[in-house]
Amino acid sequence: MSFKRVATVASKEWREMVRDRMFVLLAFLLPVLWMLVFGYGLVLDVEEIPLVVVDRDHSSLSRDYLYRFTTSRYFDFKGSLVGEAEADGWLESGKARAVIVVPEKFEERLVAGQPVAVQTLIDGTFPLRTDITKGYVIAINGAFSADLLSDHVARMQGVSRARAEIFAHPIKLEVRYLYNEEVRSSWSTIPALVMFSLMLAPPLLTALGIVREKESGSIYNIYSSTVGKIEYLAGKLVPYVAVSFVNAVVLWLLATLWFGVPFKGNVGLFLVSALLFVLTSTGIGLLVSIMVSTQIAALIVTMVISILPTILFSGLIVPVSSLSPGAWIQAHFFPGMYFTNIVRGTFLKGVGVDVLWPDVLALALYAVVLRLVGYRLFTKRPRS
Amino acid sequence: MAPTPAQPSAHGPQHTDTVIKVSAFVKRYKKNAAVDGVDLEVRRGEIYGLIGPDGAGKSSLMKAIAGVLTYDEGTVNVFGTLVDSERAAEHVKQRIGFLPQGLGLNLYPDLSVEENIDFFARLRLVPEPDLLERKTRLLAMTRLDKFRDRAMKHLSGGMKQKLGLICTLIHEPELAILDEPTTGVDPVSRRDFWAILAELLQEKGMTALVSTAYMDEAARFHRLSFVSNGKELASGTPAEVRALVPGWMVTFEAAPQLDAIARLKRTYRQVEALGPRLHVFTASTDAAQAVSQIETALGGMTSSDLRVDEPELEDVFVALLLRQVEHQEADGALSVSPMNRDHDGPAIEAKGLIRDFGSFRAVDHVTFRVQPGEIFGLLGANGAGKTTVIKMLTGIMPPTGGEGRVAGADMKTAGNAIKERIGYMSQAFSLYLDLTVVENIWLFAGIYGLDSRATEERLQWIVAMAGLHGYESHLTGRLPMGVRQRLALGCALVHRPRVLFLDEPTSGVDPIGRRRFWDILSRLAREEEVSILVTTHYMTEAEHCDHLALMYAGRIVAEGSPSDMKSQVEQEAGRLLEIETDIPGRALRRLKEAGFSEAALYGTKIHLLSRHHAEDEVRLRTVLSSDGMSVKAVGGRPLSLEDVFVHRVMTLEQQEAATKRGVGS
Repeated sequence: MSFKRVATVASKEWREMVRDRMFVLLAFLLPVLWMLVFGYGLVLDVEEIPLVVVDRDHSSLSRDYLYRFTTSRYFDFKGSLVGEAEADGWLESGKARAVIVVPEKFEERLVAGQPVAVQTLIDGTFPLRTDITKGYVIAINGAFSADLLSDHVARMQGVSRARAEIFAHPIKLEVRYLYNEEVRSSWSTIPALVMFSLMLAPPLLTALGIVREKESGSIYNIYSSTVGKIEYLAGKLVPYVAVSFVNAVVLWLLATLWFGVPFKGNVGLFLVSALLFVLTSTGIGLLVSIMVSTQIAALIVTMVISILPTILFSGLIVPVSSLSPGAWIQAHFFPGMYFTNIVRGTFLKGVGVDVLWPDVLALALYAVVLRLVGYRLFTKRPRS
Repeated sequence: MAPTPAQPSAHGPQHTDTVIKVSAFVKRYKKNAAVDGVDLEVRRGEIYGLIGPDGAGKSSLMKAIAGVLTYDEGTVNVFGTLVDSERAAEHVKQRIGFLPQGLGLNLYPDLSVEENIDFFARLRLVPEPDLLERKTRLLAMTRLDKFRDRAMKHLSGGMKQKLGLICTLIHEPELAILDEPTTGVDPVSRRDFWAILAELLQEKGMTALVSTAYMDEAARFHRLSFVSNGKELASGTPAEVRALVPGWMVTFEAAPQLDAIARLKRTYRQVEALGPRLHVFTASTDAAQAVSQIETALGGMTSSDLRVDEPELEDVFVALLLRQVEHQEADGALSVSPMNRDHDGPAIEAKGLIRDFGSFRAVDHVTFRVQPGEIFGLLGANGAGKTTVIKMLTGIMPPTGGEGRVAGADMKTAGNAIKERIGYMSQAFSLYLDLTVVENIWLFAGIYGLDSRATEERLQWIVAMAGLHGYESHLTGRLPMGVRQRLALGCALVHRPRVLFLDEPTSGVDPIGRRRFWDILSRLAREEEVSILVTTHYMTEAEHCDHLALMYAGRIVAEGSPSDMKSQVEQEAGRLLEIETDIPGRALRRLKEAGFSEAALYGTKIHLLSRHHAEDEVRLRTVLSSDGMSVKAVGGRPLSLEDVFVHRVMTLEQQEAATKRGVGS
C-alpha cells in the first residue's frame, strides 16, 4: 500500500469534483435543499381541519356545543349549512373534511335528560388523518358532556361548580411530554431528515463518481496500472467521505440554528456516528457502482435502494416499533434505522454511548462489511 | 525503474525476443465470440499492427494482453508471464502502457494537461525528478508545452491524442498497447502522431502493439495482423501480406463508365470507380497479361490513361475479405427513376459564405459549385468549418454573410423548400435502432409526407438500391454497420432529393462495406444525377470524388479533382521518394539533420518530398553511406491524397507561425 498512490487518486478526484460546477451543486446544495424542502413540507401535525356544521336546533345549547368546535385550533371553521344534503358537496370537493350535524330538539332532549346522537361525517380517505380527526371530535364532545354533567351535579346537589367538577371528574390526567416538550412534529422529523439527506446524497455522489470513470473509459487507467485495489478505492472514496462529512456538519447546524431543534446530547458522539454513517452510505454507493456500468443506471439503482427503504423503514415517518413484524425485520437490515436512533437520541433525548452503543456498533459493522464486499467484487480484470 | 525479471515460461520454445505470444485466443461476450482463435507474436522493438474494421475483435484482444479483460480460451503470454489471472496480470502491468480506445476518453476533462500527466506518473510511482525531465521533453516534442495549464476538455482532437500518448508512456513502459490511437483525428495530426510514436519507440527501444481501422496506415507497421470478425486473415510484414494475394492494380479511364463497370464486374470482383477512373484488381501475376485480360473483358470499349501498379495493402485486405465471404450479394439493378428537375444550373452554389460565432470566424468567404450528378468532397481537419458549411447550406443555421443556393432555392428564404429537396445523412446515421428496416423506411416516408403508393414504390427502390433483401424485418440495431449505413442512405433518399449531404458517412464500416457504399454513391450520381456533397476523414475515400475542396481555418485553400490536387502539390513540393535502409531510425535522424525536414518514417521505410529527384537521391545516399548505413533502395511513389492534405495544411501552419513570429518580434 503506497500512501502516495492513495493521495494521487484522491487529489485527482478532488480536483475533478470541485471543477465540475454541476457536481459541486449536487454535492453541497442537494442535502441542504432536501432538508429545507422536507423540513417545511413534511409536517405531520394534523391541525386546521376544514369543518362545516349543520345546526337544526338553533337553540342556545346547540350554538354553545358547536362553538367549541368552531373555535378549536384543530378545526378551521368554513361555515354553517342549512341541510345535510349540502354537506355532501363540501366533502366531495375536499373543501371540508369533517361535518357535524346537530339534530332537532337537541336542547329540549338534553334538558329532559334524554340521550342525543350527534351525527359526525369525517373524510376517511387517509386513515391516519381520519383517526386523529375522530380523536379531536371525541375529545371536544367529551369535554362538553362533562361540563353538562358538572352543571347537572351542581344543580342537583346544590354545591358549587368547582365541587361538582370534582364529582364529575374524580381523576384528572396530568401529562408531561418528555424530550419533545411541545410535541412539535418538526422536532422529531428534522433530526431524522439529517439521516435522510446523508443516506441519499453520499451514495449518489460516490456511485456517479466511479461509474463516470467506467462510462468514459478512464477506469482503464486504473485497470492497466499497478495501483492496488485498496489504494484506488481508498483514494477514490476519501473525497466523497470528506464532502459528505462536511454536509453532516452543515445539516446539523441547519437543524439546530435554522429550525431551532434543541440538541441535548454529545456533539462528539453525533460526529463520530455521522462519520460512520457516511462511511456506510458511501459504501452503498461503491457497491452500486461496481454492479452497474452507466451513470443513469447508477442514479436509478441508488435512488431505489436508498430512498424507499429510508422513507419506509428508517423511522423517518413511522416509528420502527410500530411497523408490522415483517417491516420491523426489514427495517433492521437498513442502516438508516440505526442512525435515526442516534440522531433522535442525541438531539432530543440527550442520551450517550451507554444507550446508543448498539446503533453505533451496527453502523461500524456496515461500514466495514460494505467495504469488504466492495473490495472483493471490484476487479481490475473484468469479464467485459 | 528496474524491469522485473521475466518469469521462465513453461510454454514451449519461444523467440528469445518475444514480448507477446498469444495462441488460440478466444473471447466470448455471452455466447458471441468476439475473437475466435487468434495467434499473435510480437517481438522486442517492433511496431506491430492490428488492422481491422470496427467490431473485428481488436479491442478485446488488446485488453486481454494488457491484463484488463478476462478471456475464455487459449493463452496470452506477456514478457514470458502467462496472463491468466488478476494476480498474474498485476505482475506485468508495470512494464505495460495501455491506451484504451476513444479519443481522449481516458483522460480527465477538468484537469489541465500537466495535471493529467502528473496523475498518470504518480499512479505509476515515477520519481519526481524523472517525471519533471520526461514531462518537459515530451511536452516539447508534442508541441503541447504552451498548453500545459489548459484544461484537457479544451484541447483539439489531435492534441488530446498526443496527450493520451504522453500519459500512456510517462512511466516508460517496455510495451505500449495503443487501441485505435488515430481514429477520429485529421490526417495531419495522425501523421504527427506516428512520427512522435516512432521517435519515442526508437529512443527507448520500446515495443508497440497498435490497432487501427485505417487500412492506409498498414504500411506504418513492421509487422501486422489483419483481423475481421474475430479471425485473423493474414499476418506478417507488409511485404509478406502483400505476397499473399499476388496480382496487379490496373487503373484507367473508359467511357461510358457505367457500361465499363458492368462488363468488368462479370470477370472481376474488385472494380472501383474513382472519379472518372476505374480501379481494377487482377489476380494474374504478369502485368502485361493483366492488361490484355482487362481489354478482353471490356470487349472493344476503348480505355485510356492506363497504369499498372502494385496493389495497396487495402486492396489486398479487400481481396482477403472477399475470399472469406462466400457469396457476394448480387447488386440489384437500379431502376432509373428520374428526379424531377425544375431548374438547370448548379445543384449547390455557395457564394462568399461567412459565419461568425462571436468574434470567431468559423467560415470565411467560402465559394464553390457542385454540378448535377457530381460527387463533391469537402475535406479538412476537425474545426476547419466543414460542418458549419453543411449546416448553412441545409438551412439549419443562418449565415452571417454571403449566399447559397441549393437545388435552385435560396437557402435564406426557402427554408422548408430546401429540406424537401435535399437528403441528409449524418455520421450517427440517425436511424431508430429498435425499429425494423422497413419500419425505418416507413417512418422517413411519413416524415416527408409520402402517400402509401409512393411509399411502397420507394421502399422497393431502397431495398434494391441498398441491397437490403433479406434484412427487411430485421431490427436495425442488430444489423452489421455496413448494412445500417446503406439503410441510412436509403432513408435519406426516400423523398427523391436531388442533392444529398453526407457528413462523415463511413466511420466504423469495414472496407468491403465502404467500397459497396461508394459503388452506390457513384451510381446515384451517374445514373440518377443526384449531386452529392460529402465530408470525410478517410483520404482514400476522397479519391472517389469528382471534385475536392480542402478547408483550413474556415477558408477553402485548395480545389480541384483528386489528380489535379496531386499534380499541384507535385509541382510545388516535388515527388515522393521512398528510401529503404538497414537502420531506419538513425537514417531518419541523419536525414533531418541534413535538411530533409519533411522526412517521415513509414514502418521500416522513410518517405520524403523531393523537388529535384536525381540530385536529392545522390545527396541522401552520400549522407547515409558516410554514416555507415547502406541504402537498399530509393524509389519514387505516387502521391496519395493524404500527402496532399498534410502538405497543404503543414505549409499553411508554417506560414501562420511565421506571420505570428513576425508580429511578435
